[in-house]
Amino acid sequence: MDAKDILGIPKSFPASQEKKARPQKEPQRKPDGISREVYALTGGMAPLMPTIEVSHLKRKAVADKEKITWQWLPFTNSARRDSLQLYHWVRVVNGVPPTGDYQFAKYNKSVDIVKYTDEEYEKYLTDPMWTKEETDQLFDMCERFDLRFIVIADRFPSPRAVEELKNRYYSVSRALLITRAPSAADVAGHPLVKEPYSMTHEMERKRALSAVLSRTKQQELRDSEILSEAKRIMESRKASKGVESADLLDDHNDIEMTEKVTHTDSPSPSSNMQPTSTAAPSAPLTECATTPASLRMLRVYLRTHVLDQMVQAASSNAGPRTIKRVEQTLSDLGVHIKPKVPTKAVCAEHLELRKEILTLFNLQKQVHTQNSNFQYFAIVLLAICLDKSVPLCTIFLQKKCNAYIRSVV
Amino acid sequence: MFGGDEVSAVVIDLGSHTCKAGYAGEDSPKAVFPSAVGSIEHLGSVNDNQFDKVNESLVDSKNGVETIYTEKVNLKRKLYVGTQALGYRRDHMEVLSPFKDGVVTDWDIVDNIWTHTFRERLRIDPTKHPMLLAEPTFGSLHQRERAAELMFENYKVPALFVAKNAVLTSFSYGRFTSLVVDSGGGSTTVAPVLDGFALQKAVATSPIGGEFLTQCMMKSLESKGIVFRPQYSFKKKERSPGEYQVLDFDFPNTTQSYKMYFQRAIAADIKECVCRVPDTPYDEVAYSNIPTMSYELPDGQILEIGSDRFKAPDILFNPFLVQTITGMENSIDSVRLRGLPQMVIDSINVCDVDIRRELFSSILISGGTSLMHQLKERLEKDLIEESPQSARVKVFASSNSIERRYGVWIGGSILASLGSFQQMWFSKPEYEEHGAFYIHRKCD
Repeated sequence: MDAKDILGIPKSFPASQEKKARPQKEPQRKPDGISREVYALTGGMAPLMPTIEVSHLKRKAVADKEKITWQWLPFTNSARRDSLQLYHWVRVVNGVPPTGDYQFAKYNKSVDIVKYTDEEYEKYLTDPMWTKEETDQLFDMCERFDLRFIVIADRFPSPRAVEELKNRYYSVSRALLITRAPSAADVAGHPLVKEPYSMTHEMERKRALSAVLSRTKQQELRDSEILSEAKRIMESRKASKGVESADLLDDHNDIEMTEKVTHTDSPSPSSNMQPTSTAAPSAPLTECATTPASLRMLRVYLRTHVLDQMVQAASSNAGPRTIKRVEQTLSDLGVHIKPKVPTKAVCAEHLELRKEILTLFNLQKQVHTQNSNFQYFAIVLLAICLDKSVPLCTIFLQKKCNAYIRSVV
Repeated sequence: MFGGDEVSAVVIDLGSHTCKAGYAGEDSPKAVFPSAVGSIEHLGSVNDNQFDKVNESLVDSKNGVETIYTEKVNLKRKLYVGTQALGYRRDHMEVLSPFKDGVVTDWDIVDNIWTHTFRERLRIDPTKHPMLLAEPTFGSLHQRERAAELMFENYKVPALFVAKNAVLTSFSYGRFTSLVVDSGGGSTTVAPVLDGFALQKAVATSPIGGEFLTQCMMKSLESKGIVFRPQYSFKKKERSPGEYQVLDFDFPNTTQSYKMYFQRAIAADIKECVCRVPDTPYDEVAYSNIPTMSYELPDGQILEIGSDRFKAPDILFNPFLVQTITGMENSIDSVRLRGLPQMVIDSINVCDVDIRRELFSSILISGGTSLMHQLKERLEKDLIEESPQSARVKVFASSNSIERRYGVWIGGSILASLGSFQQMWFSKPEYEEHGAFYIHRKCD
């Protein structure tokens, strides 16, 4: 608006409307605190950051109710056992210094070391390898250094290995625990009593570790070469074994199919027993072999995965409708379609069940086809007996024959 | 647990080359000056009473001179401490160091140095400030007791703590467990620190330090015919703009040690500017054709330094190189000395097997000599070759030169300003109750 004033451009709306417009313009007026020009610079809009209001500034001068000073005062530290008083800066509120212990005194933690009296030592803790003075020294150092045995071994007056020190300390603590406990059952759960420190084991372990760490670069290279060589040999061995098992698997499938076919005339559960019984002697072998060749390559596999694969392999010659019927039968019998607890025995049984059901359906189909064949032959026979032209009364005769056959069967 | 509390402790690190002192909680020492002092001995009169040197020490406030009375011989000795006092040439002034082979032998000088620190440099009253002293990692028990006695009797400090250099360096890097390689002025020390405690049996030292390398540099250059003119012995007069003429002054009464001190100062400057650690072990033939670097001496001579740039620092890694420098063959027993990587590996192998891996992966470098270029890379390379394959070798060096040089002091500053450290001071009441040997219990 000012620009227009400056440029001398006449105002576009009449003066009467100006009065009405002015209350409308009120919210558009610049807020307090910034000068007009600055406000115009930002395009006439409120700035993104809140501006500092002058009224806010004045309020800060009034101090808080409390008077805070910082003073150089002495303090005592409960973690110290003497009367040393050091000085430090303290935030004093209203002339009252803060009370309470030194705030860092709570970090003065130490490990609980068992203490023994002389008589206890005489009775339980004597050892041919350790004198009393040495044991006392050891326990004193354990307390000073918070059971850092490597540091203790470093500072111990006589040259003892870390394992020896640990051994002595733990055996003494254990003996004291056991003797001081009212009954054996109380301390049986204590880790020191359950698993005593074994010095020989530790020394063995450290020896092995130092052997590992002290291998030179050449030894490492040779070792890695040998390992890669061994790996290759293992792989080639596995590959050859995998080929063998694939052959075995095919043979077994052929055996199954031929057996199913030959036993269709006498449908009975015993037919299923026979293939299984013949398979039983060679079960250990075939069980390995029934796992498809691809699975043998895996060292680790889920049993459910294996089961799925074997089910697929078994029902590979059955159509999807048959598979659905199998599953329907399973649920009718109250068996889960996938076994809930897939152990080896359960999976084997499950597979057997499926195979039996499949065989059952196969046999049923066979029976059905045989029946229909039988019907057909019966009709033909009847037609010949009736000595009438077959096409004329085929349908009528068929119906009659069917009714007759049904009454017979 | 690691909060800070300001008790205005003072940290003093008296090294074999420089002394560093300042307030705890700050990030660099306020007072840094050489540990060497100038001393002028002259006979005192027979009538002088023998005062107890503890209480009666006259202070000449003009230039920080303190006269002390020795009890053995009636000999007065004026000691001049500090860069200013030492830098002014005086007749018959000998340059002495309180250290010999890294341990303090002359406690008078130490006393003077501390007085100079408190009165002249820091201007504090020692009775109001707890003191943290840094001592060499391989220091003996006797040294610690002496220091405690001196502090409590002479200066009456309220509390004292003596910490090992290696531990403080480790703290300055913020680690509790590490292997510290400290190559300072007087010696190089390799020490493992476990959980804040230095493992004494695994500490390895070598007398090859910054000053030794400076000596080698000097001898090597002198054998090429270069004469070092100490700065007091000449004056440059401007004949025409940009052209100077050197006038020699002759001071017949200047002692040899003083002259050597200044010559060494020049050689040290050359070493700091020019030297680099070679990437491969130094080979006379290979490095004979290396391009030279020019350096201008204070008296205007221009030196061209070629293979010596690489030879001197490589002495750290291959001490037998000393034999090839004329004039230095017999200075140290270089046959039995080990190079730096070997020292590190030997030190680690002495330690318990369980911590070896951890030590390998946290090797810290500090000290003035460690500022040499490429030292960290060369050390890392050598160690990776020699160390077992399963251990990951990692060398840490602070990129800030102040932090590397004053690593020990900074660690002390951190330690003394921790809130949970305030319970560990060895206080005056405890000293009076138990005596000086109690310090061994308190300070590790």
